[in-house]
Amino acid sequence: MSNPVFQVGVAPLVAALVVALVVALLLRSLQLGGLAVVAAFLTTMYFVSGLTFSPLTVTRKIVVLSLAAPVVGILADFAFKPTRIGAAVLALAGAAAALWVFWPVLSQKDAAEAWLLGGAAAVAVAFMIGFGQMFLAEHAVRAGSAGLGAGLGVGIASILSASATYGLYGIAVGAGAGGFLLVQMIRGKTLAAGATFTLSAMLISGLIAAGAMILAMLPWYALLVLALVPVGARLPVPEKAPLWLQAVLLSIYSFIIAGAACALAWKFPDGIPG
Amino acid sequence: MKRLAIGLVTLTLPLATAAQVDSYNIDPFHTVPYWETDHLGFATFRGRFDRATGKFTIDRAAKTGTLEITIQTASLSTGDTDREVRPRTRDEHLRGPDFFNVVEFPTMTYSATSVKFKGDDPDVIEGSLTLLGVTKPVPLKVERWKCGPDPRTAGKRYQCGGNATASFRRSDFGMKFGLPTAIGDEVKMWMSFYGFRN
Repeated sequence: MSNPVFQVGVAPLVAALVVALVVALLLRSLQLGGLAVVAAFLTTMYFVSGLTFSPLTVTRKIVVLSLAAPVVGILADFAFKPTRIGAAVLALAGAAAALWVFWPVLSQKDAAEAWLLGGAAAVAVAFMIGFGQMFLAEHAVRAGSAGLGAGLGVGIASILSASATYGLYGIAVGAGAGGFLLVQMIRGKTLAAGATFTLSAMLISGLIAAGAMILAMLPWYALLVLALVPVGARLPVPEKAPLWLQAVLLSIYSFIIAGAACALAWKFPDGIPG
Repeated sequence: MKRLAIGLVTLTLPLATAAQVDSYNIDPFHTVPYWETDHLGFATFRGRFDRATGKFTIDRAAKTGTLEITIQTASLSTGDTDREVRPRTRDEHLRGPDFFNVVEFPTMTYSATSVKFKGDDPDVIEGSLTLLGVTKPVPLKVERWKCGPDPRTAGKRYQCGGNATASFRRSDFGMKFGLPTAIGDEVKMWMSFYGFRN
């Protein structure tokens, strides 16, 4: 169980598949698909770092928020349909959460660097959550593809930025979203995404990417490109195409944007020349 | 008269005892903590921290002492500073969240309040290491110890110097990346140190 392939691939994917299948078969009326992402993330966290909360470090704050996100998502799904105001409220809450996570570190930096890093983190997390809630929450295949692209993109970019641990966490989110997507592709039926999925997937992947920027060496401009990954999952696909084909196409769109971010992290780690 | 003499002796005794406590500031330029751990089960890998500061006190008569060391974690070095074809160097990786997480935890500290003596020299220092926000007891073994006038100042400055070792499991401090097979859990530290008497 110490093998990274198990920790970051098999274990989170199995956890996500189990949760997604339970939701699909037993809890169809509820929008609980997002629990698959959280289950995958926490599974990898358990194997890689352990689930402890003291001292409350940046990483552990992200775990705390990963537990809170589906709860808030469930409440949001019950409270209101995806609207601009609802999306804006969740986006602002995400930005505030990002500042809460990183404030102890940002407060030690000089003002200019703190503004740049804190601003990039807040903007990226807010945009991912807001866009996801506004445009993807009612489209489970698009939401799943966005989660898959964001998770894998954040994971690979983190590894390239000197943090394999954050890389594993990101890939776990991708595996969770992949499990959510795979159940839909195999069954040929969509699950419900809702805020439970988009808030969980976007918040966790956004915070991991921001952590890779602030604690490791992910460039801020690569973070902003990663934040655009959900936009790829909004691009048009043939409406009457089989669900699996839509999922593949949307995932490819997401991967292209994620790939661009990874290329920036790889080739221009110290700034874009010019 | 006799009572007065006893009273004066009683009053001045703590001052005499206090006067035997020597305090030292650690020389940051010659105090270098090194560490080593297993790498892939094939070799032992070493690195060091280039900046450590602190102070210690020693009371030879009472055989007591204290020690405070602060190590700047960002000063770690394994000599790998050129990325070449890689996205990051080993030193950059070691500074990241996988290992020392230097942005969130810029220092690691060692604090001791108990010193066991062997003859007139300190032998084992009982103290606690704080790494990644976690504090655990880690004894420090003094393997070499000498005090005397600093020859570089023609004897004007008095110094103590030596070597000390310690070992701990990094997983106890939450540093778990690469466990159990890629990078060893057991970390040995070896430190050369100097302190200048105030």
